[in-house]
Amino acid sequence: MMLLQASQITKRFGHRTVLNGLDLNVQPGEVVTIFGPNGAGKTTLIQILSTLIKPTSGTLQIGGINALEETLRVRPTLGLVVHEPFAYLELSPYENLKLFGRLYRLNGLEQRIAALLDEVQLTPYAHEPVRIFSRGMIQRFMIAKALIHDPALLLFDEPFSGLDLAATRLVLNRIDQERARGKGIILTTHNTELGYHVGSHFHFLLNSQIETVAAKEDIGLEMLSRKYEERLKG
Amino acid sequence: MEAFRQIGWLIHKDLALQFRTKDMLALIIVFSVLVVLIFCFAFGPIFPEKLEERGKLAASVLWGTFLFAGIITLNRSFDIERMNGALHGLRLTGVDASYLYLSKVVSIFLFLILLEVVVTPIALQFLDILTVLPVALQEQLPWLLLKLIGVIAIGTLGFCAVGVVVSGISTNTDGKESLLSVVLLPLTFPVVMAGAKCTVSLLTTGGLGGNFWISVLIVYSLVFLASSYLLFEFVVEG
Repeated sequence: MMLLQASQITKRFGHRTVLNGLDLNVQPGEVVTIFGPNGAGKTTLIQILSTLIKPTSGTLQIGGINALEETLRVRPTLGLVVHEPFAYLELSPYENLKLFGRLYRLNGLEQRIAALLDEVQLTPYAHEPVRIFSRGMIQRFMIAKALIHDPALLLFDEPFSGLDLAATRLVLNRIDQERARGKGIILTTHNTELGYHVGSHFHFLLNSQIETVAAKEDIGLEMLSRKYEERLKG
Repeated sequence: MEAFRQIGWLIHKDLALQFRTKDMLALIIVFSVLVVLIFCFAFGPIFPEKLEERGKLAASVLWGTFLFAGIITLNRSFDIERMNGALHGLRLTGVDASYLYLSKVVSIFLFLILLEVVVTPIALQFLDILTVLPVALQEQLPWLLLKLIGVIAIGTLGFCAVGVVVSGISTNTDGKESLLSVVLLPLTFPVVMAGAKCTVSLLTTGGLGGNFWISVLIVYSLVFLASSYLLFEFVVEG
């Protein structure tokens, strides 16, 4: 079954069309990388796919459910990593994960929190307020938060921006693991190298429209980078 | 049962955030006591002899103070949700918007009640109202204070019922604080008016002087609470 099926998604803010008739499909085990420059509408797209904002027109099915009608049913199947933590900085990672885990109605929460904090190497800081964390630590915490409920579909918006090498490696490894477990992943970035490394299917988001480029087996990094640069110039 | 649990966790989170940094509690108590003191200096040191006049003064001081303290508390509470996209984080859990509404109403109500329990005796003492009460009322002072807190609590519930909806709307707009004050003040006018009338009546006669104003207070609070509970989804989801 298709994990995500977006069809003819259009989003207008006033007279400005940010996304125009966009189609996107994600199957289990796919990492769909969407490349686009700043202001291309990547964040708007992620917000629509995560049901946080509604498109002006178009349809969105997630896990076979109409995500625009049954948002409350769809949301617990999504994990989101964006520029903002979507959490409470005055609370510690442990308190945040406990709160969100409870709201997701999870069982065995204590073990799950301990395992995730350990994996993102935040166990020593489990009870410190998130507000004192560096950008990389916040990003790692966000990954733990996005994974707390073991979502079927993960959405990453520019996950590598502001990260050091170790944190970048952690994000890449985690995406690989989740793909291997059959999760669907959508990732937006303007970094062709990292986006290629982690992705399985590639798209460009340019001029409010999405262009399907190729699957990984059909294109190399060099060719992808060249194509992207040409499209940016053109 | 699950709904109560989720609402409970959200209230726990709100109260933890309100009390985690003591700055909010300190700010709001200092602000409220200062407002009371300003009124006392403006009208004192010799207050009106007539009990009715002094009752009116006390009611205006109390309700004016609680109204502005309430606006600050609402602003602060929704700032926490707005900052860093925390409200989006809650929405993504699939939690029902009406649970978010109820938890916010309850947590802000509890916070304001705590403030009011502290500030009310201070205000009554500074306004020197207890000494001019008739002997019959002085003998029933604890009962009178309890009734007063009861009236203030119903008014506070009405204020929170309206305030949480307006704060939710202003969170999604550019106006934010200015919109909150401009829209909230007219909407809470019936609550403040009925609350002030009941307070005057309590402080001067020990009773509510008929059922009209207390009925207005209760009905307005309940109607807003029920309608906002049902409509909050549209506020959050836009």
